Amino acid sequence: MANHESDEHAGHGHLQLEYQPALPLTLGKTIIWLFLSTEIMFFAALIGMYIVIRFGAPTGTWPLPEDVHLVEQIGAFNTFVLICSSVTIVLCLEAVKVGKPGLAKVWLLLTLVLGSVFLGVKAYEYKSKFDHGIYPAKPRSLIHEKPDIYYVAAVRDNLTQQIEGLDAQIKDGNASPENEDRREFCNTLLLGAVNWAEREAADNTKSNAQRQDAIVQLARVVLGPGHHHGEAHSHDHPFAEAMKREREVVEQALKPVAEEFQKLQGQQGSNEDKSQKDSSEDNGDAPAQPAESPPSALKQRTDALRIEKTRLEDRVAATYKLAELKHGINEDHNLRLPMVIPSGNMWASTYFFLTGFHAIHVLVGLIVFAIGLCLQLTPKRAGFIENIGLYWHFVDLVWIFLFPLLYLF
Amino acid sequence: MSHDQPRDSSSESDHDHEPHGGIGQYVVVFICLCGLTALSFGVAISPIMKTPSIGWAVMMAISCAKAMLVILFFMHLLWEANWKYVLTIPAAMMSVFLVCMLVPDVGKRVDHYSQERWLHAAEPHQESPTAEVEVHHDEDASESEHDHHEK
Repeated sequence: MANHESDEHAGHGHLQLEYQPALPLTLGKTIIWLFLSTEIMFFAALIGMYIVIRFGAPTGTWPLPEDVHLVEQIGAFNTFVLICSSVTIVLCLEAVKVGKPGLAKVWLLLTLVLGSVFLGVKAYEYKSKFDHGIYPAKPRSLIHEKPDIYYVAAVRDNLTQQIEGLDAQIKDGNASPENEDRREFCNTLLLGAVNWAEREAADNTKSNAQRQDAIVQLARVVLGPGHHHGEAHSHDHPFAEAMKREREVVEQALKPVAEEFQKLQGQQGSNEDKSQKDSSEDNGDAPAQPAESPPSALKQRTDALRIEKTRLEDRVAATYKLAELKHGINEDHNLRLPMVIPSGNMWASTYFFLTGFHAIHVLVGLIVFAIGLCLQLTPKRAGFIENIGLYWHFVDLVWIFLFPLLYLF
Repeated sequence: MSHDQPRDSSSESDHDHEPHGGIGQYVVVFICLCGLTALSFGVAISPIMKTPSIGWAVMMAISCAKAMLVILFFMHLLWEANWKYVLTIPAAMMSVFLVCMLVPDVGKRVDHYSQERWLHAAEPHQESPTAEVEVHHDEDASESEHDHHEK
């Protein structure tokens, strides 16, 4: 026994002298490890970029998972799926080494299935982002960085388009009660919230703060109440209280306007009666001319009051609608209006960039597994399985860092 | 390979032989990984996140631990010869270097935003408009003052 061992040792040493490889590895493994070391740098750059962008964003602006409809539980589930698949591929390698190709195929198939589950969940997550208007780039993305006049203008444009679309549908005979309701809601919103905010913002008799406030409020009712760590919203209708207060204020402003309007309208009516009487007496239009100036001022005032009254009434109507909101207009009414998510565009870009590249790697892994399933998994193939296993573990490794960074931070 | 099972407890001693952990060890690593995932999830929903930097540090530490488990046991690096350092250490150094390179340029970009850039930059969420409005007003004032100084 000892003799045999020393023989083998000597032979081994001899061989080493003649053909010493650069690394004590098979060629395939050397290459996969070289590839993985470049991949380490690749993903380190991506993740590093994310960290640097995220923590370099203007203070307090990076969106929380809830703001961008990211569900931590789904991310955790996906982490679990990937960990399981790492175990199955390692068990596949073990089975190949001990010469159980059947069992190895089962493990490999299981890895393939788990990887597909991961991608399926990822697709579901992407879909929910797209449904909420979160895209990595502008033409489709509904994200605005801050509540400013450009934001209100974008909401107005979007809402007007939606109303036009609904009008066209109703015209085409698709006047279902749903469509009618929706159109009415959009109209109330446009008049009583969007146009209101725009006018408030343009009203230079108000302080800057009040003008900004109007736009901030619009942004909040569109997206729903803000999310903050550890904060729970106690009531079902987060805007009910604020809208009630607002309505009281507006109604108070409306009362004198309505009264004066009533009075002036009465006056105007009697004046018109009088002028009509005059004109009928004189049988001509000419005598109305000199007496025009006082009624014209009156008319101007009445018109101004009428506009003011409609404006305030629209606002009151809108406050009723907005008070009913639970999670914001977009969520409750599925309207897809532009929304304010500070740093949301950067978030979307990095999120889709990181998870997209990771998903591509998963996809490549799945293709290789599919190829592996077509092969005879004899012990000769152990090297191949080990290499694709190394790749797969690396993919898992990347997700180990991505999960807390994207979902939990 | 049938003698894997008794070996795994003394894996330290047989570095140069066939790299192996055995199925039992994989299961232990798997349980550890799941436990650590649950732990980082727990940190994320725990009161630690009230001081986020601590929570972040803990979660990153947990991630590093998970990564080490995967690398050492699933990728068999624990049992590999010294070549592993040739490939992993330079790559790791390059990674850190890359991130450091990004900090002055991208990470501190906000320090060098022009006034025009700030006009379109993100602002923090305003929780209660009336409460935040004052703050905003102050910011406006200080910004315009700053602007004044620059000119």
